[in-house]
Amino acid sequence: MAKVTIDHQTFEYEGQQGLLQFCLDHGVDLPHFCYHPAMSAPANCRQCLVEVGMPQRDRATGDVVKDDAGNDVIQFMPKLQTSCSMQMADGMVVKTHRSSELVKRAQKDTLEFLLINHPLDCPICDQAGHCPLQNQAYKHGPEGSRFEFEKVHKPKHIDLGPRVVLDGERCINCTRCVRFTREVSESHQLTIIERGVRNYPMTPPGVEFDEPYSMNVIDICPVGALTSKDHRFKARIWEMSKTPSVSTVGAKGSNVDYWVKDNQIMKVTPRTNMEVNEYWLADEERLDYRKFNEDRPEGPTVEGAPVSWDMGWKAAADCLQGVDGSRIVFLGSAWATVEDNYLLGRLAAAVGASAPVYLPHVESGHGDNWLRTDDRTPNAQGCERLGIRAISPAGLKARLESADVLYVMEDDPVASGACSVEDLAGIKVILHHYNTTNQTLAAADVALPAAMAVETVGTYVNMDGHAQRLRPAKAIAGVNRTLSMEIGKCRADRHGTPFDKWYNESNLVDCQPGWVSLPEVAAGLGHAMAYKGPKQIMEEVSNALPSFKGATYPAMGEHGVRLETAGVTA
Amino acid sequence: MADFIKHPVVELPERKPEPVIPADQLHFSEDEKKQIQTWISRYPTADGAVMRALWLAQEKFSFLPPEVIQLVADELGMPYAKAYGVATFYTQYFKEKKGKYVLDVCTCFSCQLCGGFDMLHYLEEKLGVHKGETTADGVFTVQEAECLGACGSAPMLQITNGTYVHHLTKDKIDALVDALREDKVPAFTSVTLPQDEDEMGGNRRTDVAATESYGVCPVSETTR
Repeated sequence: MAKVTIDHQTFEYEGQQGLLQFCLDHGVDLPHFCYHPAMSAPANCRQCLVEVGMPQRDRATGDVVKDDAGNDVIQFMPKLQTSCSMQMADGMVVKTHRSSELVKRAQKDTLEFLLINHPLDCPICDQAGHCPLQNQAYKHGPEGSRFEFEKVHKPKHIDLGPRVVLDGERCINCTRCVRFTREVSESHQLTIIERGVRNYPMTPPGVEFDEPYSMNVIDICPVGALTSKDHRFKARIWEMSKTPSVSTVGAKGSNVDYWVKDNQIMKVTPRTNMEVNEYWLADEERLDYRKFNEDRPEGPTVEGAPVSWDMGWKAAADCLQGVDGSRIVFLGSAWATVEDNYLLGRLAAAVGASAPVYLPHVESGHGDNWLRTDDRTPNAQGCERLGIRAISPAGLKARLESADVLYVMEDDPVASGACSVEDLAGIKVILHHYNTTNQTLAAADVALPAAMAVETVGTYVNMDGHAQRLRPAKAIAGVNRTLSMEIGKCRADRHGTPFDKWYNESNLVDCQPGWVSLPEVAAGLGHAMAYKGPKQIMEEVSNALPSFKGATYPAMGEHGVRLETAGVTA
Repeated sequence: MADFIKHPVVELPERKPEPVIPADQLHFSEDEKKQIQTWISRYPTADGAVMRALWLAQEKFSFLPPEVIQLVADELGMPYAKAYGVATFYTQYFKEKKGKYVLDVCTCFSCQLCGGFDMLHYLEEKLGVHKGETTADGVFTVQEAECLGACGSAPMLQITNGTYVHHLTKDKIDALVDALREDKVPAFTSVTLPQDEDEMGGNRRTDVAATESYGVCPVSETTR
């Protein structure tokens, strides 16, 4: 196997590999700005310089030359090399800043150059705190600048498009954003204009940077030059905690981090998962977070009057009590988790009703065969695998004609056009809802606020059959040990108890996850549906249903499990 | 450039400019298209021909407003943004309307030492414009240029990305301006080293049989 020696440590490797990526993968923290694993390496930031040498070979014989001690004589290239564009070769010897004063000096000097025209506005810059330039300047940079002249002033706060704002002065011209539009999204909406000290990324005249993936350039920008128009100046990075979870906007199930401050979602950023969304996220998935913060219900209501949770659950059970199963319609949801839909199916079976159905929310033509999908819900595949089938609004309307009770979980049949509030006048409606904007709420006899994807523990299955875990990013009102534990486990700041640094009681929503409400309703009907928590429910699902084989919480971990396609009937 | 050192401000280009070339004139002729195709065939990808095609467009339209850059990009089948980046990179591509003759006076090191600024200022005074500006009659634009690679005959200037005028003196500038007003563009002068003059007949071009070449080096007034 081929060998490469990095700072006196020898590694084995196979195939063609880039040196910088290899170093990063093996814990050698080489500073860099322009290199991104998903894009070409232009080697223009000059920050990843290293010394590279190869064993010297005798020209006549081709043998490796040995010194007196019998070691290979290493011939170093006369100049430092950019490791991002350097392909490794067998026998290569590399010296990084950890073992070479020359490399250390080069990195320091490169940073001094990069900082010559960079404004020192970190205190008001959104990138501060997670800025590669800031971090690397602290780690490897010079202590001060020797540049005594006025810095170059470039255009600031320019709206490149509807969602991305440019600060030209902060740009270090790494061209990551330009390469993103050229190589990844292929929208070709950005270019570097002008030359020398005057250059910065810009759209050509008459073009707006409005592609549906434009905000990815904000994440890959190694400085604060490209910022989000939506999130600008809203919160500092250290004021938020992030939770790894899954997007709720489409059937692709893109992996995201939810950033939370004071129990409110502040922004959504992509989380790398090479099997699903790689490094990227669509703009619509980043911007559709206000639903988690705004128009949230304040506790359960019966006939519009606020009640306690126990009363609410009992009222729901009373609605179902004594009604013939054939006259109850259970409506599942492609926004609800697998666990909650499974419990709904069990409740339906317990009262003798037919299996739940769900309303598909498909917008034909919305998808682009990348991260955006026609299906605007995250868990239609999970419903199908549970045997919960899609029903058209007209089909649901027809079924409602012979129904006495409609049990709606986390959906809105009125807004979907299946029925009007008047149609539901003679029907008892039990509704688990996310938002007060839910139009079915007006017809609901019992309304039980449901925890949204950012407040619950659960599983979504994406369109490709990738089962992935949801983790609670923010707390709900009331005490739930399972949720507290999960928040503590998945949030980097270990928020979990009222004694923690970030604990905050503002903006708590009085809602309950389906896996709390549904067993309570079932218990009111005398059916035992006791689980220790969603983990146990999923264990049961993965054991009982072949279509969920292997989808346990430990197996899903951070990056999910690809389920077998067998056993699914669309 | 001197001004840029004192006031280093980069202006944002107009982001939604009105087109200046009428739509019915905004196209390449069949011959021009054929020419562009010939250039494309010389490169691995069509993008490679962008500089030649932009040059052709500049000669046709006299400058490169965004719609012309778009036309070139479409002709080559390359992204407009990329072509725009190329056009803004090179100062020789004119992004705005210039005078009929653009006089690029070199003020880089060698020319500066030999009186490049004297020549620039003389030209500015003579034409009544500042560098970067165009005379009211639209005939001359005076610009300051970085090194044009003719240090051996400093100070010098270039006429509209073309002919060089070497060893500038005030008299030479007077004569040049008069000649250009009558549309008499000076002939190409070979830049040779004294030792080569005999050997190569003073001709540095392979495409013409003979060219003029300069003889004795004048010395700038400043140095004198």
